[in-house]
Amino acid sequence: MRLDALSRLVRLSLARERRGAFFSAFGVAMGVGTLVFFIGLGLGVGQVIREKIFPNDARMVDVVPAAVSLGSLLGGGKLDAEAVERLRSLPGVEAAHRKMNVRVPAVTRYDGAFFGTKLRMGMEVLAMGVEPSLVKGDTQMGEFKDPGEGQPIPVLVSTRLLELYNKTFAPARKLPQLSANMIVGFGFPVEFNRSYVSANSATGPSRSVQTQVVGASDRAMFAGITIPLETAMRINREAGVDADTFTGVTLVATDPSKVPALVDAVKAMGLEIDDQERRMAENTGAAVALTTSALALLSILICILAAVNIAHALSASVRARAKEIGVMQAVGASRSDIRAIVLAESAVVGLAGGAIGTGVALLASLGVNRFAAGYLPNFPFKPDSFFSFPWPVVLGGVVLGLLAALAGAYFPSRRAAATDPARTLAG
Amino acid sequence: MIHARDVTKEYLDGDGTRVRVLDSMSLDVEAGDFVAVVGPSGSGKSTLLHLLGGLDVDYRGEVKVGGVTLGGLKDKDLARFRNTHVGFVFQSFHLIPNLSALENVLLPSYFGPRTADAVKRAEALLERVGLGAKKDRAPVRLSGGERQRVAIARALYGGPRLLLCDEPTGNLDANTGDGVIQLFRELHREGLTVLAVTHEERMSVAARRVLRLKEGKLVEERATERSVLGGAP
Ligand SMILES: Nc1ncnc2c1ncn2[C@@H]1O[C@H](COP(=O)(O)OP(=O)(O)OP(=O)(O)O)[C@@H](O)[C@H]1O
Ligand SMILES: [Mg+2]
Repeated sequence: MRLDALSRLVRLSLARERRGAFFSAFGVAMGVGTLVFFIGLGLGVGQVIREKIFPNDARMVDVVPAAVSLGSLLGGGKLDAEAVERLRSLPGVEAAHRKMNVRVPAVTRYDGAFFGTKLRMGMEVLAMGVEPSLVKGDTQMGEFKDPGEGQPIPVLVSTRLLELYNKTFAPARKLPQLSANMIVGFGFPVEFNRSYVSANSATGPSRSVQTQVVGASDRAMFAGITIPLETAMRINREAGVDADTFTGVTLVATDPSKVPALVDAVKAMGLEIDDQERRMAENTGAAVALTTSALALLSILICILAAVNIAHALSASVRARAKEIGVMQAVGASRSDIRAIVLAESAVVGLAGGAIGTGVALLASLGVNRFAAGYLPNFPFKPDSFFSFPWPVVLGGVVLGLLAALAGAYFPSRRAAATDPARTLAG
Repeated sequence: MIHARDVTKEYLDGDGTRVRVLDSMSLDVEAGDFVAVVGPSGSGKSTLLHLLGGLDVDYRGEVKVGGVTLGGLKDKDLARFRNTHVGFVFQSFHLIPNLSALENVLLPSYFGPRTADAVKRAEALLERVGLGAKKDRAPVRLSGGERQRVAIARALYGGPRLLLCDEPTGNLDANTGDGVIQLFRELHREGLTVLAVTHEERMSVAARRVLRLKEGKLVEERATERSVLGGAP
């Protein structure tokens, strides 16, 4: 059947059945709208988890020494320079970034100006040295490398720590909100080889150094400060503690698909993988995905109901139009023409419902974001948007509307095509 | 124009028994003829029209209309045949209520090939049946006679050589019925073959041949040899 003729006939019958068409489209819009909304929410929250709460690069593998020293008894499981070399030469490894904790206790004592207020505090500090290459791009001031004896040590703080500080720590203590840019340049003293914890009997003299924040990084240690690897090694050496074995090595695979094989190779070396973060991300992600799936299932159910509703309405309309269908057959409509007309009618309803539902879902998401921004208290990792609508979701919404409507029209269209003109036209 | 041989048509009754409506019926109609078919209610007149018009292909025997053998045609080809070879006119007009007169006449155009002058053609046909001025009216705002004229214009749209009419004046009063009969006469004079099922005396008077459907067969009741060709004034 010609497309122009089809569209003309479809427009005519939709104009007549405006009410029925409206309710059919409304049902589709409900189903599609809730589905798109919940999927967008699930994707959005998942994205926040992946990118903000547990930032995780799929290509990265964190290698740590074996916790149980069985490996070390057999000569493996230690992360020394030789082990690092072997890791670096594993197939699929693009880079290996070493990390070493400062192995002596440290404290900070601060008493002075703090972004417009005064701050007085003292606390234990953990410090981890990382290779500059791992945090490249996060340093906003100077160079992230060992400054040498007596010079201020460049420090990176965790973006997550900053987020927690801003959302919970600072408000409770009436401290100012800080951004990564603001803290760059902030200096504070750190005393290594000293502890407030009495049981921790540090040996040797403590040494006080000045530090300077040079940026915030996702890869920085969460509860502590992150300093250049060489600095950490120097401090350990000077304190007479282990300065040869590393606390961890972050391997970067050439490709995420290489990661499983890499993990196996690392384990074969008697080393372990620290996938705590990844697991947490995966667990939280799975919880979100599960919730989203449940809600999506509910929405699919609404879509099915919408299809049933269309089937019902269309059956009635086809029955009511039997005579008209007979007339069309008498003037030259084939059975497939009749079928096409009914299907096309429903397709238009479905497309309209799908588009409207998707549009309303997008609008509703804007509304929720606005509400969250304006009325929800600030909590850590509170995103600007709780939603993510990649184009396949948007397109999928419209297509789903179409499919639901076509499914609903399946039987009515067959029934219409089976109309016996001789019977309906007689008399 | 029409050549039907040994056509048998049976319906399955509600209780499963076969009811034979046409029984080895044969019919030959010359091109340009005007034939009236009469017979009591339930004798199978409508059934016959549906077979001849390709609306019903469930029968035994041979039906050939306008050179086209209908038996065994695929649905698409049957539809094409109805679109171009025959025009149907029904007792109750069967206009589509929410379409204007013009759009009703255009209905066959939607199932044929695209033509640039479809609207012009439909307008000319409405002009031809005397409704040029009322082309935009909805069927409800037309009289019965006018509605039947619209239906006739619609039947003519595909350029058929054969009009199949089922009681075309059955729903019209005598005066308007006369007008419609007059129109059939004119169309016949212009060369169209007309086969009309009717109860109407005047309709059969206008026809050149009258056939009676009796016990499933057609019986010649009156044949006029080129006497009243064109009909009485
Ligand atoms: N679809 C059908 N199923 C079963 N029986 C049918 C069907 N259509 C018609 N019949 C039967 O076939 C017979 C002929 O019907 P048809 O409509 O052809 O009669 P008709 O001569 O046109 O009558 P009328 O003058 O009342 O219009 C009738 O007995 C009718 O009951
Ligand atoms: Mg009849």
